[in-house]
Amino acid sequence: MSEPRIGVYVCHCGFNIAGTVDVKKVVEFAKNLPNVVVAKEYVFMCSEPGQDLIKEDIKANNLNRIVVAACSPSLHEVTFRTAIKEAGLNKYLLEMANIREHCSWVHHDKEKATEKAKEIVRMAVAKARYLEPLEELEVGAETSALVLGGGIAGIRAALELANYGFHVYLVEKSPTIGGKAALIGYIDPQTKGAEVVSKMIDKIKECPRIQVLTNAELIQLGGFVGNYNAKIRINPRFVNERCTLCGECEEVCPVEVANEYNFGLSRRKAIFLPFANAYPPYYAIDYRVCVKCGECEKVCRFRAINLKEEAKILELKVGTLIVATGYDPYRPFKGEYGYGLHPNILTLFQLERLLDPDSPTKGELIIGGKIPKNIAFIQCVGSRNTTPGAKEYCSRMCCTTAINSAIKIKERYPNTNVYILYKDIMTYGSDETLYEEAGKKLVNFIKFEEKIPKVLITPEGLFIEVFEYTIQENIRIPVDAIVLSIGMLPPRDIEELIAVTRVSCGGEGFVREAHLKLAPVEAPTKGIFLAGCITGPKNILESIRMGSAAAAKAMALLSKGKITIEPMIAQVNEEKCSGCAICVGVCPYSAISIKTVNGDRIAHVEKALCMGCGTCSAACPSGAMQHLGFKDLQLLAQTRAVFGGEVHG
Amino acid sequence: MAEQKSEFEPKIVVYACNWCTYAATDLAGTSRMSYPPNVRIIRVMCSGRVDPQLVLQAFADGADGVIVAGCHPPADCHYIEGNYKAYRRFELFRKLLGAMGIEQERFRLEWISAAEASRWVQVVNEMVAQLKKLGPLKPNMEVRE
Repeated sequence: MSEPRIGVYVCHCGFNIAGTVDVKKVVEFAKNLPNVVVAKEYVFMCSEPGQDLIKEDIKANNLNRIVVAACSPSLHEVTFRTAIKEAGLNKYLLEMANIREHCSWVHHDKEKATEKAKEIVRMAVAKARYLEPLEELEVGAETSALVLGGGIAGIRAALELANYGFHVYLVEKSPTIGGKAALIGYIDPQTKGAEVVSKMIDKIKECPRIQVLTNAELIQLGGFVGNYNAKIRINPRFVNERCTLCGECEEVCPVEVANEYNFGLSRRKAIFLPFANAYPPYYAIDYRVCVKCGECEKVCRFRAINLKEEAKILELKVGTLIVATGYDPYRPFKGEYGYGLHPNILTLFQLERLLDPDSPTKGELIIGGKIPKNIAFIQCVGSRNTTPGAKEYCSRMCCTTAINSAIKIKERYPNTNVYILYKDIMTYGSDETLYEEAGKKLVNFIKFEEKIPKVLITPEGLFIEVFEYTIQENIRIPVDAIVLSIGMLPPRDIEELIAVTRVSCGGEGFVREAHLKLAPVEAPTKGIFLAGCITGPKNILESIRMGSAAAAKAMALLSKGKITIEPMIAQVNEEKCSGCAICVGVCPYSAISIKTVNGDRIAHVEKALCMGCGTCSAACPSGAMQHLGFKDLQLLAQTRAVFGGEVHG
Repeated sequence: MAEQKSEFEPKIVVYACNWCTYAATDLAGTSRMSYPPNVRIIRVMCSGRVDPQLVLQAFADGADGVIVAGCHPPADCHYIEGNYKAYRRFELFRKLLGAMGIEQERFRLEWISAAEASRWVQVVNEMVAQLKKLGPLKPNMEVRE
């Protein structure tokens, strides 16, 4: 590019800058900096006349670099980039000198502030001398989406995307979609979890654009935003669509294991139907426990079973990925509040399952063979705790779920006494009315503090001993059943998920959003979105909403059919690169690979994968890897200009 | 008063990551906090972008102190783990400084989130006080470009 001709524009920002910084002196100083052709001041540079001033100067003085000394680039960099673009200049030939947030607003001594402002301008001019025009790139994008996880958040996201006209692959690890919401008795006093999920599944059945892949796992993800290559392994189900749900196979199956769809309340065979409204609506054989005896195959009159079926690999090209793989319920350790030592001590998930019409008790509250006369919930089991394996966070849904169940129990079994032992009740928002209602229905709330309740298993029955905080007394409650309100944990296989998708893990073991407020629902990697409990505990409503939100973001990306690639990314100088691959190791996005060009090993940056952090550039021993917009020379010039020095390069 | 004026004013070069620390320095401004004018901030996208060579150049040119600042570990980094890259690099670098005759206290690696404007002000105050105690850097080395 030709010799730099720089225009410097110093903003008064009313009195915001001019009140502390002597703008005239800064302008005079800027005029004498190398390559500066014009330097001007104006009361509000960001105003229309201010922008016009710059635009006119660009044309009149043939300027090819602009420095605006004003506020933070986070505020008006885009404004001035647009302005200089309108004047025919490449918009990346702009440098902001932050003399407001970094100077006039934080200092009071006018002389010192003016001196500092001068230096800030000198640094910006020094960098501007080495700015280069950059171009945004566009690449084509696939218009299909992969939704990982067939729980309620994933289903919602898939439905939104399909409704808008995109093709969706809904990939679920287990033999049915529906997730845990499909197993829960009541979402709120009027709504059954199974009903909501069934309605959503009905819509999926009608929708030709959603391809449901169950027993399926994402095993490899290559490519980049708009052009992901997903490798899916479909584990054998051994049962095909000819299955009529007659159930004869189940009778002859010799293998029996705990039924995870009833949270261990009952047992199931190796061949089983997960739950009544499972989808796809046929039996499945659990390939992990099946002994391949062949009994089911023999008994099946519809030839729906084929034990020779093998795992299949499917390769898909998708534009975007929504991760909605959910959570695991907290697993109490043996003996935690008596868990595992007495059949009448269950978890909240087990109780919720009991209350579902499809449960082993057909929705009746029958624990240990009878309806309990006294039932107690213990809250915050595994949450807000520092015991090993427990989490310090609040799991958000357990208070409301317990209270909801308590109300249901009181409605259906008025003679049963319900106790809720709690630390704090977190029925936030409109759920507070449930808390009130529970009170009216005479649910007994018992508060404990640091001293946690003790569960006593005696020959006379179950007792809870607790120091009641409000009356400051030890009390002993005889109970027939105890429900442990367990919280939510990151899913067990989250490590594999992270390894395959490159999403990043947050502080509490869940997946982290790029920014909770500025980039919600987005993973740090472009084109990957997050929904549901994979980012942390949520109730069902929140998960549904997040599914919709993730779909909206995915649509915004897919609908263009092309992807714009930011130009401030890494670039390799192939002459200098020795192929040492240090950059490959430091890149957090696996954007760099080594390619052989004419027999030489050379680093190659996949532009759409690069997020522009510049770590590779700092690591490169030969200066071959450059971070556009923050090149070595540009940062060096800026550094040296602090002390009035220059670079020659 | 006259004495105070002639007091040594250290110059500190700061490499601030765009997402956390640079945002904190902006927030300090918008919150009208006050701190000594001894710092010169250079914006980079990630603390992982800061090449130790730049820091050495700053010292060679006359910086009395250098701060490299980014997002809190473990998980605040906008680029997943750039802060760890910086940590790895600069913990080693700090040890080398001593060998070059530069007091290790002249270099700080800091984690300052976008919300921690007051932490930023605290770091500047501490660093200025520290450097005033140490006095100007007397470079006994030359960095070749």
